[in-house]
Amino acid sequence: MKRLRRAWAELLEGFRIASGALVGARLRTFLTTLGIVIGVSTVIAIVAIIQGLDRSFEAQIQFLGAHTLYVDRAPWIQSDNTWWMYRNRKKITLEELRAVQRESRLAVSVAPMVGTRAKVARGGVELESVNVRGTTEEYLEANGGGVQAGRFLVTGDVELARNAVVLGTDVVDRLFPGEAPSAAVGKKVLVAGRPFQVVGVLERQGQLLGMPLDNVAVMPYPTFGRIFGTQRGMVISVAAPPGKVAELESELTPILRRARRVMPGKPDDFAFNRQDQFLKLYKQLTGALYGMAVGVGLITLIVGGIGIMNIMLVSVHERTREIGVRRALGARRSTILIQFLIESAAVAALGGAVGTAVGLGVAQLVALLSPLAAAATPSAIIFGIAFSTATGLVFGIWPAWRAANLDPVEALRYE
Amino acid sequence: MTEAPLISVENLTRLYTVGEEEVRALDGVSFDVQRGEWVAVVGQSGSGKSTLMNLIGALDTPTSGSYRINGHDVEKLSDDELADLRNNEIGFVFQTFQLLSRSTALANVELPLVYRGVSRKERRELAVKALESVGLANRMHHRPNELSGGQRQRVAIARALVGSPSLLLADEPTGNLDSATGEEIIRLFGELNRHGHTILLVTHEPRLAARCPRAIRLSDGKVVADGPGAEVASLGAPPAPPPHAGAAA
Repeated sequence: MKRLRRAWAELLEGFRIASGALVGARLRTFLTTLGIVIGVSTVIAIVAIIQGLDRSFEAQIQFLGAHTLYVDRAPWIQSDNTWWMYRNRKKITLEELRAVQRESRLAVSVAPMVGTRAKVARGGVELESVNVRGTTEEYLEANGGGVQAGRFLVTGDVELARNAVVLGTDVVDRLFPGEAPSAAVGKKVLVAGRPFQVVGVLERQGQLLGMPLDNVAVMPYPTFGRIFGTQRGMVISVAAPPGKVAELESELTPILRRARRVMPGKPDDFAFNRQDQFLKLYKQLTGALYGMAVGVGLITLIVGGIGIMNIMLVSVHERTREIGVRRALGARRSTILIQFLIESAAVAALGGAVGTAVGLGVAQLVALLSPLAAAATPSAIIFGIAFSTATGLVFGIWPAWRAANLDPVEALRYE
Repeated sequence: MTEAPLISVENLTRLYTVGEEEVRALDGVSFDVQRGEWVAVVGQSGSGKSTLMNLIGALDTPTSGSYRINGHDVEKLSDDELADLRNNEIGFVFQTFQLLSRSTALANVELPLVYRGVSRKERRELAVKALESVGLANRMHHRPNELSGGQRQRVAIARALVGSPSLLLADEPTGNLDSATGEEIIRLFGELNRHGHTILLVTHEPRLAARCPRAIRLSDGKVVADGPGAEVASLGAPPAPPPHAGAAA
């Protein structure tokens, strides 16, 4: 009990001394913490921006079904300059679509996707370059998302090749300015000069890597073929039951090889694309950024830590007599050690707190002035302060150790 | 006297190595101090009295010999135990006061109790009482630089007394004071001694030693005289120095 009280009293004394020393030498404190402030604010700002990006990106890729394979002739994400390897591959056609529909047992839904850019118009408003897609009623199941007004394509639209279209919100907003999305349902629009009836409006999806996703018009696949021709390559989206994407891939591979008449021993001439490939690419990008942030942060923290060590050595030197007095009055070595550790940790924690605040401010400013998002998680804040405090402790050890090991006789005599 | 002496020093020796040379700062010193005594340790500079003071104050450990204070065998203690011994048994009074300049008189006096783990409230009470006992009841919240030399030394004495140590160890306590103030401080020591405090006063001034009931004279690290203060002080003292010359040295 007494030992506990003594430890507590010494700890309080340590904090009292530290605050006295820090307040007593404000300019020095400020300059000492500057290194830590810069380091921590840099890291916090970068991390906040990356976390902001993470969140908006993860929200963005939700439109790609998590359990969906996109069969295309080439991978969507290619490393280096390998595009030429895929250029001469055969297009994916109706034949493969039929084969998958017929033979796959795992597939939950199979939808073709063809696309082009075309003009969409209503009254006097003409939208030059809308992403026009041809697909089937299974599209939504494979791709996620939904309609906010009206309905999506139905089997009848596809079988009868109706001139029915489901519009993205960007298209609706511009063709029906100032009106609720539901107002568009049932109206006539022109797609590539042909009259279409709007049957539904898609939910807003935002952007993916800067590309708008809501500038779309979705129509039945046969309708698309009638207008734009049937010779286009398609992408087949195949949804798997949750957790069975890999199984689906191994089931589809022989089906597709047969349909495309790939000789045994030859490599596949098609590719499976997945949402998580985007995630992987994205993680690679931000991983490099994270690495840089950590590197910069570490270097500045080390520089800041050396600054703290330097000042603490000066402080120990200046207070040699005080240390002698404290030792004479009954302070143990550990008491002195802790006293100086508290001081260096306090300086660093102060720098960390200021740095965190500055970093968050910078991140908010960046978010305000640029399209980048910023999100500060509590963990980043705690991490920033904890890390700088740890820096203070680490770089305070040597000065504190020197203080604790001063010979009391010498220290008392020190002028 | 059947009671064990408060301090028992036996054959105490302290060697320093300066470069290649070995210096015998203290060479086989032995003496006892009973509770309630007021003893001066007197000697020229270089006689070993500072070394002796550091050993008695448990700031340093002897090369050989033994030192007991209040039942503790000091030479056997660890560094932490020495710190605790200083805290509990010894009240230091230094020539240069050694007050913490950023702290008030009260905080300075409380300090030994912090290291003893005394609660804040009790600390405050004891410190106030100690400051009152040295006549500084109205200076408690002043910092050292707002106090005169004599007042500073009184704060230091209050700090030495606050933990009720068994020994007051004073090192040239009047060395930085003018003679009138020094006289006040000596009188304060006399008063404390009458109240039962054991005092060991280290000084180079025979005049001061003469005021003490008992004095020990050191020369070249050896005890050369031990007896009533007036006698020891006159022994080997420079022939008839004018009082002021002694104080200025």
